[in-house]
Amino acid sequence: MSLRTPTQVQHLLWTRVSWRHARGTPWTTALLVLTLALGVAVYLAIRLANQAAIASFQNFTDVVTAESDGILLSPAGSLPESLLTDLRRSFPDTPVHWVPVVESTAVEPGDGTSGPIGSRPTYTLLGVDWVALQNLAQARQSPARRAASTLRPPTPAATNTPAPSLDESALWSRLQDPHAVLIPAATAARIRTPTLRLVIQERIVELRIAGVIPEDPAQPKAPDNLLLLDLPALQHLTARPGQLDRIEFVLPEGADRPARAAELRRELGDWVNGRWILSTPSDRRDNAATMTRAFRLNLTILSLLALLVGLMLVFQALDGAVVRRREEIAILRSLGVEPSRIARAWLWEASALGLVGGLLGLLLGWAGAQGAVRGVGQTVNSLYYATAVRSAALDPVEAAVALVLAIAASVAAGAWPARRAAATPPAQMIGRGRAQAGTAAPPWVLPGALILIGVGALLTLPPPLRLAGGSRISLAAYGSALTGLIGAGLLAGLLPPLLIRRLTAWGGLSAPGRLALSHLRKPTGRHRLAIAGLVCAVAMTSGMAILVGSFDTTLRGWIERTFMADLYVSSEGAQSASTQNRIRPETWKALLADPEVVAANVVQALELQLPGGSTLLFGGNPSFMRDQARIAWREAPADDAVWDPDRNQGLALASESFSHRFQMHRGDTLILPTPAGPRRLTLAGVFSDYGNERGSLVIQREHFAVWFGDELATSIIAQLRSPDRASEIRARWKDRYPGLAVYTQGHLRGEALRIFRQTFAITDALELIGVAVSVLGLGFTLASLLWERRNDLTTLRALGFRHGEIAWATTLESLVTAGVGVAVGLLASLGLGWLLIHRVNVQTFGWTLETDPPWLWMAGLALAVLAMAALTGWSIGRWGAALPAEREE
Amino acid sequence: MPSLPRAIARRFCLIAFVLGVLQPVTAEGPSSGRREFAVPQAGRVFRFPADHGSHPEFKIEWWYITGHLVSDGDQRHGFQATFFRRAGEGLPTARTEGSSTNFATDEFFLAHMAWLDVGTGTFRHEERLNRRGWDARAETGRLEVRNGNWSLKDIGPDPGGRTILELKGGIQADLFWSLRLRPEKPLVVFGTNGVSRKAKEPAAASHYLTFPRLSVSGELRRGDQTRRIQGEAWMDHELSSSQLGEGQVGWDWTSIQFFDGRELMAYRMRSDDGTTDAFSTLAWIDKTGRVSHWGPDRFQWRGEGQWKSPRSGGSYPAAVVLTVPDPEGRPGPTLRIEPLCADQELSGGIGGVPYWEGACRVLDSNGREVGRAFVEMTGYAGNLRRAL
Repeated sequence: MSLRTPTQVQHLLWTRVSWRHARGTPWTTALLVLTLALGVAVYLAIRLANQAAIASFQNFTDVVTAESDGILLSPAGSLPESLLTDLRRSFPDTPVHWVPVVESTAVEPGDGTSGPIGSRPTYTLLGVDWVALQNLAQARQSPARRAASTLRPPTPAATNTPAPSLDESALWSRLQDPHAVLIPAATAARIRTPTLRLVIQERIVELRIAGVIPEDPAQPKAPDNLLLLDLPALQHLTARPGQLDRIEFVLPEGADRPARAAELRRELGDWVNGRWILSTPSDRRDNAATMTRAFRLNLTILSLLALLVGLMLVFQALDGAVVRRREEIAILRSLGVEPSRIARAWLWEASALGLVGGLLGLLLGWAGAQGAVRGVGQTVNSLYYATAVRSAALDPVEAAVALVLAIAASVAAGAWPARRAAATPPAQMIGRGRAQAGTAAPPWVLPGALILIGVGALLTLPPPLRLAGGSRISLAAYGSALTGLIGAGLLAGLLPPLLIRRLTAWGGLSAPGRLALSHLRKPTGRHRLAIAGLVCAVAMTSGMAILVGSFDTTLRGWIERTFMADLYVSSEGAQSASTQNRIRPETWKALLADPEVVAANVVQALELQLPGGSTLLFGGNPSFMRDQARIAWREAPADDAVWDPDRNQGLALASESFSHRFQMHRGDTLILPTPAGPRRLTLAGVFSDYGNERGSLVIQREHFAVWFGDELATSIIAQLRSPDRASEIRARWKDRYPGLAVYTQGHLRGEALRIFRQTFAITDALELIGVAVSVLGLGFTLASLLWERRNDLTTLRALGFRHGEIAWATTLESLVTAGVGVAVGLLASLGLGWLLIHRVNVQTFGWTLETDPPWLWMAGLALAVLAMAALTGWSIGRWGAALPAEREE
Repeated sequence: MPSLPRAIARRFCLIAFVLGVLQPVTAEGPSSGRREFAVPQAGRVFRFPADHGSHPEFKIEWWYITGHLVSDGDQRHGFQATFFRRAGEGLPTARTEGSSTNFATDEFFLAHMAWLDVGTGTFRHEERLNRRGWDARAETGRLEVRNGNWSLKDIGPDPGGRTILELKGGIQADLFWSLRLRPEKPLVVFGTNGVSRKAKEPAAASHYLTFPRLSVSGELRRGDQTRRIQGEAWMDHELSSSQLGEGQVGWDWTSIQFFDGRELMAYRMRSDDGTTDAFSTLAWIDKTGRVSHWGPDRFQWRGEGQWKSPRSGGSYPAAVVLTVPDPEGRPGPTLRIEPLCADQELSGGIGGVPYWEGACRVLDSNGREVGRAFVEMTGYAGNLRRAL
């Protein structure tokens, strides 16, 4: 062999050492690549799903206006139509198109049975002035585009009018049809019917499909769930005459458009003078992103943990490879290959592993994102805003980040093994080499672990980080969890010798048993690492289970206390927190007039913008809440005024989330913006509520109706004369009002729990992946250790140890190692659970929970991990027992 | 022939396509009642300034201003500002119940603005269509018409008692003009006894009111620059409830303001067989404002040359040669009407009917410029018959 250049040496190292081994152990290599890919995939899937859910928040008007230059919104409730006249009067000559918008939601009617809530797709109904849209199309054409369009015959496509693809005159004829609707081309292709039956507010309406929403490359594609109606038609259908949801404004194109837009926004800012909110489409998108930031961050952190656990496995695997290939490395050293070159070869191998695993992870992640996006979308839909996101695109930036992360982390994980490889002595020395002997833990481990745990404890104290829009992130608590877990992991590594001392004192151990324990009397660094990995994985899984279990218990209690009435009525379109379908006053008044109804709470709701963030305002009957639900008070009302409609005009009850979000307590006052002018409200009490994380403010419904000029009800809660006739009355009401959803107490309670559990599905999956990967890591560690002990195994066989006995010894070693990890992990999970319940949850969502660890589940987890460890130990033991002795190789 | 259906025809046809298609409410649509509209009555006494305002009892109404302007530095311009109102025949019952008057579907307003910079040959135009409501309306009892940020209104008489109109218009964000218009000659009511018939059917008629000469002064804003502008304009106000007859493929129209203080208005309706329709007419307005009408047998309209639109593909006459009777009925001069700029076609983005309407100069048979004109030519691009 003649090695003349460093490149040739490196190439040789790669082909003859790294690549040959990868090929020689295809299953191990595949497992390693797959594990890494899984970590990357989980991370990427969650990131993509998050991104898709955020991107799905769309200013729907963009579809017809492209991005507008600004938006006028009401801080609470609707904008009055008279605002349009005021605007035109105040800006008579300004070349600007004011675009009034009404938005609502609708669902396809159900079959009348009590199916799961939220299972049907929600449509967004957008009401814009179809006639005026023609003008907008002209204004939005750039001079260049106008010039280009003039070179062709003025067909609708060439002139960029939003005419549908059907005959234009048909669109015009539909203008006077209050049930005419334009739908996206994809939806048209799917439904293939001339009409669309939908529940709008609480009525079933048959919309006539007048055409297809035109698509323009310059404008965002219409989402599949968007339906475009003429504005007054939608006002009529939703029983909201004279009300607008927002007014957008669009300036004609031109070089100075940004300057004109800024100038108009400045003038408008002075003009609205705090009465209305002046926003932009990007502000709205930012708000949506802010609203879900905490939720997304939680998921990202979890997904990163999956990646970290995967990397631990890479570390263990590469470390194992160093052990197995020590002879080769030694030969290379004796041939004169420098240690740095060997280290580099090892790092190249790690990065190649990162690259291949990363690439596979991209594919898996992208595929996984399609599943995850539904889960994320469902949660976003339930808690934040309407989204019909069904797929996640592979974002090149996210993909590149995931790939770089995979390679960088692989290299980082390979750094220590590479150093160990480089430090391998030349061949003549290892001929007499022995397996790595167990050593006492480095002296810094114990104090280091204690310091980390101490820091973790201190980090439980700081308040959350407050973000714009009222979101909070428990950054310190996450730091506490991280340091605490690492500390616990380190500490756990010190435990085996203590444990073994006691076990070996017991005389009943067989020879294989004693053999197994002898290895743990002075555990190797690998033992300690495997234990630490298991501690982290078990603690996280079990900690999350404690949170979910406690949540479950708390929520069940809350649901039982809150849902004590007999019937709950809402529009069938009210499928989630984000839907806007409500019940007309004539309908709910008719229900209340039913002689079977002895008491009822009519609930109205609207989104409220307060300084510091958005929240929900409810109009209801506080005394009904008191009488028909056992409210759990965080701060109970000091006197009775809040229950009396004649005395509670200036009073409100706040949910705990509201209290945390706006840092307000009983006795504090706030200004409520209403169309009838600002109202000063004093918080009379703070109650526990788990309905949403943005907080709720409850005022007397009668005041709500007067202040907001609105009587559309979100829900009706009815107490019946004969509760046992609830099903019969439900059927009667459903028969009379097919667009209403009428739930009995039992059904609603079940649905509330189901929806809650559904939101934790993603986290459960992530945690289980973490545990599985940790056990795999334990397997790799054991395999490395056995490889190192090949000579010992030969000796054992010579001494008469059967394969089964060797396997039993390995199983025991695996079980004890896993047992320590599981035990400490479970203990740490109690701390983690406390942290999640009393810090993260309270700080991020404002929900106080009862602590109720799911002991049985935790025991099951411990057993499952131990069983997996035993199985892994046994399999590896069998494999190890058959290994050839070193000298035979 | 005294009746003047041309004016109704030409303007009505433009909006007929745009708004006429609003009429049919298809079988599966909501039921509608038939709305009755007023028919122009002979002898109607007009009361001004109230009758400058809107007449919702008529189905169709428009205010149409064209003119020639000069800005600082002797830059020549032509402009057009048109406000149409059109009521629907079928009134939907479902929508009108409790529906907002801010988004009415019983009346629609179309507007056209056009501006020509003669020096550079740049012609810009914009169309706008709105329903009656917060952003488009026409007041009754006084002239105040609005469509977006474009408006035309009577701002009261000057000290001499003459009506002063204010016109605000523009093209996108590029141009904005604010003009004051003062009638220099009395209002003219075309037709016989105040009624201008446009077809054989008695109901097919209009009231056609015109200010044949208005002095114009005001400002033109172009970006950061504002310039003074002045000149003369012609304004039509017409109300009708009728439809066009069959067999017409288009029309040509002109209004001429002679330098000697007289005006001429002429149009010819073009039949599908290439002949001039019997309802075509020509009117002289003398210096005092007295009107005399002449039938199509007394004048000749001939297109000369050809200009092909690069947008619509339509081929329009490049110039018009008009042989007219003199006001006393004797054979009069032959006038040559030449566009100040060839490309003054409105592409019909919203209306869907491209047409040519532009500023022209008027030359006598000796080639001497004797007046300024506006010419409108329709039916040369697109299928007007189908649109109608």
